[in-house]
Amino acid sequence: MRIERLTLGKFRNYETGNVQFADGVNVFIGENAQGKTNALEAIHMLAMGKSHRTSKDTECIQTGEESALIKGEITVKGHRSVLQVDITQSGKRALVNGLSQAKMTDFIGHFQVVLFAPEDLQLVKGGPAVRRRFIDMELGQTHPKYLYHVTQFNRVLQQRNAILKQTEIDWDYVGVFDEQLAIHGAEVTVRRRRFVDEMTKFAKRIHQNIAPGREQMSIEYNPSIRSDDERGHLNVDALAEHYLTLLRQRRHQDFQSRHTTVGPHRDDMSFFIDGKPVQSYASQGQQRTVALSIRLAEIDFIYQEVGDYPVLLLDDVLSELDDHRQTNLVISMHERVQTIITTTSLAPFHGMLEGQMRLFQVHSGIITG
Amino acid sequence: MWGYPEPIGRLVEQFMKLPSIGPKTATRLAFHVLSMSSEDVEGFAKALHDVKHNLTECAICCNITEKTPCSICADASRDDKVLCVVQDPKDVMAMERTHEFNGKYHVLHGAISPMEGVGPNDVRIRELVQRIGTNEEISEIIIATNPNVEGEATAMYISRLLKPFPVRVTRIAHGLPVGGDLEYADEVTLAKALEGRRQI
Ligand SMILES: Nc1ncnc2c1ncn2[C@@H]1O[C@H](COP(=O)(O)OP(=O)(O)O)[C@@H](O)[C@H]1O
Ligand SMILES: [Mg+2]
Ligand SMILES: [Zn+2]
Repeated sequence: MRIERLTLGKFRNYETGNVQFADGVNVFIGENAQGKTNALEAIHMLAMGKSHRTSKDTECIQTGEESALIKGEITVKGHRSVLQVDITQSGKRALVNGLSQAKMTDFIGHFQVVLFAPEDLQLVKGGPAVRRRFIDMELGQTHPKYLYHVTQFNRVLQQRNAILKQTEIDWDYVGVFDEQLAIHGAEVTVRRRRFVDEMTKFAKRIHQNIAPGREQMSIEYNPSIRSDDERGHLNVDALAEHYLTLLRQRRHQDFQSRHTTVGPHRDDMSFFIDGKPVQSYASQGQQRTVALSIRLAEIDFIYQEVGDYPVLLLDDVLSELDDHRQTNLVISMHERVQTIITTTSLAPFHGMLEGQMRLFQVHSGIITG
Repeated sequence: MWGYPEPIGRLVEQFMKLPSIGPKTATRLAFHVLSMSSEDVEGFAKALHDVKHNLTECAICCNITEKTPCSICADASRDDKVLCVVQDPKDVMAMERTHEFNGKYHVLHGAISPMEGVGPNDVRIRELVQRIGTNEEISEIIIATNPNVEGEATAMYISRLLKPFPVRVTRIAHGLPVGGDLEYADEVTLAKALEGRRQI
């Protein structure tokens, strides 16, 4: 997968922008607050339909302007296409080869990226919401069906919770939403379990290569809907049935807390090194290694699911890797994976990429190559 | 407001109440109205007034109509046994365009959506139940609410309420684009969905 060209209009601090990328490594170099992350954000938006750092699309529109434009020429499995996102004050429109997509979920999945940023440490250190968001993003960009189920689930959940906030609760009325909640909730749970299993396979291998000694990493999925029946884990119908039972059993808790207390919105996953939980036990360095392993595992996961490597976006992370093995591994990716790196200094690549990278200077919203 | 003469400012504000009209478009429209002939402006104002005052809800099917009962309810050639339940008056038009349905309608004027403060009593569900309870001829109810979360919940709610009645309750099939509106489905898709309805 390649992004050949990126065009920006009134996007953040870019009045206009036009970048032609090289196949291997592309480096955006510039001082802080010049627009390096903004450029990666735009590319991320072409893949995911939304920003990685804000849920308010309008923040991306240049201050004082009415609309912003992002356009990317991409190649996926040898096929070229043009993706475009128009953001206006009243909404967002996404186009594939000039055709407006009826729903954002129709747009997502045409192009895949893996973004590694300093905040990624939160994957390990942060709360469960960060990890659920991670799963949603990754599964969303490879499995449109997942995106559909998770969007529907969230909508049904909001509706059900709205009834639970009313002073008097009519359980027959609540029940009107339970069936939809159960179906989408079970679909989400089963797909998440498969995803975590796959990711574990890839992440373990990467971790072995970059962690010191013989440390062994593992990942565990902690679903809110658990069935006692081991074989039932991957059976959507059985799980939906079980979820319906749980919803009935937990009416009292739901009533007390005024929201739905069981379902994939309560899922989590945990990471272990040699069987010990990383969140509470590991050092900062170990946590960073785990976070990096998970991000890099996505590359293999996407390749397996989509049949082409994603574009790798590295936002200011190379200077943070304390181990040259990690830097080496990340940089060596470019042999298979088009890589776009932002940095304030070329020091971390010293002697690694001579003659192999295309360098861009970023200054005050202007990119020069 | 907006630094324009007061009547213009007021008109801009009115236009902005319409869906997907922002300040820029509203201002353009307001100035356009200013450039129109007096007759046109009066005709426009009258049309706005009439749409609100000359239309009522049909006492039988709740569709919007000039006189009650509406032309569909009054049409003796239509089948009284089958009732198609839709969310909006626009959906009646969509169904009529298929030329596949010869029964009668019931218009809910919305779908259940607790998060938007729309409960079962805020749409014409009670009217529907009453109608079925007092009209023994009705034997099948086709629920054609939108194939999204709210439409499904509304269908579910209605089907539960109708359990005690001796009517067959069906839901139009899901050939429709998921998450979409009935209104936007093309005739062929809608006709297929109608054909492939299933009992709930
Ligand atoms: N909507 C916007 N309109 C104009 N400028 C913006 C907007 N959003 C962010 N910026 C500017 O973008 C710059 C930050 O860019 P960023 O890409 O995060 O910097 P860095 O190069 O450090 O990664 C800041 O100068 C900020 O003021
Ligand atoms: Mg930055
Ligand atoms: Zn009528």
